[in-house]
Amino acid sequence: MQNGVRLTILIVLIVPVLAGLAGIFLPGLGVFPLLGRSEISADAFFELFAQPGIYHAICLSLWTGIVATIISYLLAMTLLACLFGAESNRWLFRLISPLLSVPHITVAIGLMFLLQPSGWLVRAVSPALTGWDRPPNLNIVPDEYGLMLIVGLIAKELPFFVLMGLSALSQIDVRGYLASSAALGYGRLAGWFLVIQPLIARRLRLSVLIVLVFSLSVVDMAIILAPNTPPPLSVMIFHWFQDPDLMKRFVGSAAAICQLGLIILCCAGWFALSHMIGKLVIWIVGKGWRLGSPRQFRRFLMAGLLIICLLPVCLAIAGMASSLLWAFADVWRFPDFLPQKWGLGGWQVNSGLFATLVMNSLMLGLLASALSMVMAICWLELGSGHSPHSKAPNSVPAAGEFMIYLPLLVPQTAFLFGLQILLIMLKVDGVFISILWAHCLFVFPYIMLSLSEQWRQFDIRYDQCAMVLGTDRWGRFWRVKLPILGVPILISFAIGFAVSAALYLPTIFAGLGRFQTLTTEAVLLASAAGRQTLGAAAFMQMLLPLTIFIVAEGLARVRYRRFSAFRL
Amino acid sequence: MNAFTFLRLAPAINLWQRTQQAGRTALAILWMLAGLLGGLTGWSSVATASTAQQMEQAAKGQTVYFNAWGGSPNINSYIGWVAEQVKARYGITLEHVKLTDTAEAVSRILAEKVAGKTAGGSVDLIWVNGENFATLSREGLLRTDEWAFDLPAFELTDPEALPGLVTDFALPTEGRESPWGRAQLVFGYDSAYLASPPRSAAALKDWIKANPGRFSYPRPPDFTGSSFLKQILLETTDDIARFQTPPSDDADQHLAPLFDWLDEVTPSLWRGGKTYPANYTEMVRLLGDGEVTIAFAFNPAEFSNAISQQILPDTVRSYIHEQGTLANIHFVAIPFNASAPEGAMLVADFLLSFDAQLRKANSEIWGDPTVLSFAKFNDQQKQQFNALPRGVASLSEAELSPALAEPHPDWMTLIEQKWQARFAQ
Repeated sequence: MQNGVRLTILIVLIVPVLAGLAGIFLPGLGVFPLLGRSEISADAFFELFAQPGIYHAICLSLWTGIVATIISYLLAMTLLACLFGAESNRWLFRLISPLLSVPHITVAIGLMFLLQPSGWLVRAVSPALTGWDRPPNLNIVPDEYGLMLIVGLIAKELPFFVLMGLSALSQIDVRGYLASSAALGYGRLAGWFLVIQPLIARRLRLSVLIVLVFSLSVVDMAIILAPNTPPPLSVMIFHWFQDPDLMKRFVGSAAAICQLGLIILCCAGWFALSHMIGKLVIWIVGKGWRLGSPRQFRRFLMAGLLIICLLPVCLAIAGMASSLLWAFADVWRFPDFLPQKWGLGGWQVNSGLFATLVMNSLMLGLLASALSMVMAICWLELGSGHSPHSKAPNSVPAAGEFMIYLPLLVPQTAFLFGLQILLIMLKVDGVFISILWAHCLFVFPYIMLSLSEQWRQFDIRYDQCAMVLGTDRWGRFWRVKLPILGVPILISFAIGFAVSAALYLPTIFAGLGRFQTLTTEAVLLASAAGRQTLGAAAFMQMLLPLTIFIVAEGLARVRYRRFSAFRL
Repeated sequence: MNAFTFLRLAPAINLWQRTQQAGRTALAILWMLAGLLGGLTGWSSVATASTAQQMEQAAKGQTVYFNAWGGSPNINSYIGWVAEQVKARYGITLEHVKLTDTAEAVSRILAEKVAGKTAGGSVDLIWVNGENFATLSREGLLRTDEWAFDLPAFELTDPEALPGLVTDFALPTEGRESPWGRAQLVFGYDSAYLASPPRSAAALKDWIKANPGRFSYPRPPDFTGSSFLKQILLETTDDIARFQTPPSDDADQHLAPLFDWLDEVTPSLWRGGKTYPANYTEMVRLLGDGEVTIAFAFNPAEFSNAISQQILPDTVRSYIHEQGTLANIHFVAIPFNASAPEGAMLVADFLLSFDAQLRKANSEIWGDPTVLSFAKFNDQQKQQFNALPRGVASLSEAELSPALAEPHPDWMTLIEQKWQARFAQ
């Protein structure tokens, strides 16, 4: 029975993945009979590597993706090390965690409004300090080296790492370990990085992979923040699939395979690196070094680190504030600091349509997250078997679980084409269930990624206690396990909702372009000319995920406070 | 042959499909034969009225999914008006499927063809031109009869005076798409910073060099960006006729003036040519912020519309180059597997009708120039067109001429490749 349920979930999720992959691999290998090619060949790859600027594009992708991941990881860990346990810093976490729910594109639009030469920062000091009565011709947003894209990614991923880190820390007796290491003569930072960090690093492996994969394949943010001579590989793939010349799809598919390869390589690289760092930590501990530093220096270091950590986050928040201003501006010319005239001219959406959009997005997001959550819990719970101590023999191969993550690893435009063909063949194109299905393909992996580590680290002794007290399996699940895991479940739910709320292409592809959500409308509005409209679009997009996140966090605080002493 | 022959066949073919599904093939064949006979034997004058009625009858109650770019509020509300009209006139429900990019719909039709969905497709009418039409047509994704030539409203056009009505980017339309509107490359400048704009490629070059950082163009292969390159090409070459035929070995030599021009201006472009606006809407935003002084668009009413939406300051004015600017026509087409072809044809016919074209040409509504021929209007109709309001930054029909013909599409592909290799590596 258990394996039956898992197999069903797997089939529901894997069949579309296979269709999507066929839609990439067949044209990538030169097979697309309808377009007059039916023999396997590597021509598309030769063509790909003959494209002008392709190597530059690949390097740009790797550079921005890897640097953004490493920096946001390091900053998040430092932030946790500096601030964990200090009550006075609670507000800080509260400030940055909602950023997690905001779509990437919103952050990108915000950064553009804030930092570009005609942006809010320049307006703030012009013309009084700079003498500029017109925007200067400076190469920022996008800059030549993709630095803005890195900043944008950090602003989004840092909060994610912090949140994931906090929930990983809740599973560890941090105070106990720190007290022990302090007793052995280690300072707080040294103790943290030598003892606590290795413990949470293991729990954060999957989170790092999500961020790495996302940063290497991001399109929407890169179109706004990355340079375009040439653009990163992901953007190039997107353009090839948008090209009126359908033959470009062969190159696009080859590039998509290439990107998949790069992503897998980078993930392997991360594993190798973390393994080496683990060895290094053991070596340092073995040497017995205490790595002490003068108190003054440490204060200084902590303050410096804190500022560096918070800079991208503050930029993102200020950026979103400036998009809010644009959303309600009617006339706002350079170099005015505030709009000359306020108004709702940028909205261009009547209240009736707006209500429909909110309802559609809400329904789709809630259903997709709830469905994915149920599937994820079934998957995890049934996968662990009756005796969680043994690595339960498992008829569903590990490869099956890997497949679930594939929708995140391949470019959406390429992947969705195959999926669409499948939906048409099954005669379910354009119906709500298909849209829901397509959303689940992307929501489920994120929920799995954010929930599975916590779930698998659940301290089995609680379960055993309840068993000894005579509770049956269902009772233990409902009354012990779920409540203890309540906070991670709520947070994963909110993350799942945020993922669903930001999905554009899957909604369009599965819904034949007829199903409108806040995001489809926002993308449409963003293709119109005005900054006012762009601001309104950004506002519309962040509205729901932010609300859901705040509600989830509030629920977590109220409902599950009494479980807070439980360690997982 | 009577102009309505194909119209008459259209419902016949469709009915054939439906009756075949019901297993009544024989009846369908009879019906087809009747249609054919009508076409061949000159019943035409009698049959025309009745088949037009049959067509309307078939279309009644149909839902037509019109896939069209939905990024412009003016165009969206115009399509909303069209929906009201066809509902009242023909009982057709017109649904505007708002696209961000035409590629979304092209991809969907392709997917349907791959999956073998030869009827009941999701797109009934699609807004296309140029490369997208060429692709759809080449891959057999469009309805193949000459339906567009047989629309009653087509009578009001004059393909001889405006060859673009039947040749889309040098490719004959063969009646597979019906003309909807005219587009022309129009420049806009902010008169607050610039008294008199440069009205030729040569003058523009000098101006860019004298005012570094105040001009850019959307990154090719963006449609508007590539069009700008073609505009410069046609202005800098001394053999404009050469570009009406596909390029051959001497292509480099013919493209040299364009790339010399680009080499000279690139260091003085916005952001030093290190990055380019992604599309023309981004370029228009830059004009609104004062980052650039000159921008351009493919719609003569663009700048007036943007002023009324507060995107641009009211000091913006438009102009075209002395030698003329590129012009082309945009169309609507019906996919091979449309669910409501009769309804789609009636909508296409309405879009081309005098009433719809008059409203579309009004710059307070959309400002898209008509494809109908002035010579075919009666006096009252002429007057109605002449009385249309014009936005502060819109040019008159007279100011918009001359128009340059689009080069052969192979040149565009070649220019885009060379541009990538030279400026995006």
